[in-house]
Amino acid sequence: MKILVADDSRVMRQIVIRTLRQAGYDDHEIVEAEDGADALAKVGSESPDLVLSDWNMPNMTGIECLQALRASGSAVPFGFVTSEGSPEMREKAANAGALFLIAKPFNEETFQEALSGVIA
Amino acid sequence: MTATDTGERRRGSDARPLITDLIDEATVESIAQEAWVALVGEDEILVPLPGDAPVDPVSSWVDVVGPWTGSIVLTTGRRTAEELSRALLREASPEVLEEEDVVDAFGEIANVVGGNVKAALPGPSGLSLPEVGEAPAVRNPGDLCRIDVLWRGEPVSISVQGALPPLPTAP
Repeated sequence: MKILVADDSRVMRQIVIRTLRQAGYDDHEIVEAEDGADALAKVGSESPDLVLSDWNMPNMTGIECLQALRASGSAVPFGFVTSEGSPEMREKAANAGALFLIAKPFNEETFQEALSGVIA
Repeated sequence: MTATDTGERRRGSDARPLITDLIDEATVESIAQEAWVALVGEDEILVPLPGDAPVDPVSSWVDVVGPWTGSIVLTTGRRTAEELSRALLREASPEVLEEEDVVDAFGEIANVVGGNVKAALPGPSGLSLPEVGEAPAVRNPGDLCRIDVLWRGEPVSISVQGALPPLPTAP
């Protein structure tokens, strides 16, 4: 299984990848994207099985990326990992087609709860 | 029918909340502590004690724009910011830390603390991307919620500060 991790912070991408491993998802291939536009392009070129994306990024935000994916017909499973976990953001994410929203700060249990129904 | 302008609407829209009405120090400290444990390390405790002013200070912050507009600003000494960055990077920490790594890591801590402070404030509001550098000035000392803590014995301040100057007081 291939997971695309999109965040403009390299440090946060590393923390997300580390947490995935700590949560037991350590045998998946990881692809990184540094903003929403990069993520959009890499969904096309890399065909990931899941996208884990930050919300607030330069060039293209995570929600814009998700909307562009759905508008283009892509149904790739998509979840947010973001520092903003307000009910409004969660609703907006769900309405755009996101499966879940993990609020930062998170730990491996948070990842397990969100991902248990999504990846094996 | 003649409408009478009582000025009520103007006064209503002029009223803007101060941060001290919206959040308290204990909440900011709890948000910061949670961020530290998750990002910096499980045993990383923030001790709520003021320290000396940091040597060679550096700040990271995010801006919130909404019913309350201002910044969430973390300030510490440059060496402490570098140490924080190494803690976030863990095994990926390079032998020589680049400025880019500090901007990324220290900015991300402000992003996580700021995002959670924003969630505790009335919305809807927007959150900026993090910045690192010299802290934005405190425009209104009455619109400020600040905590001072020690991390590994070094001073760190977290300031939730309004971006706007005080309103003129009624004559």
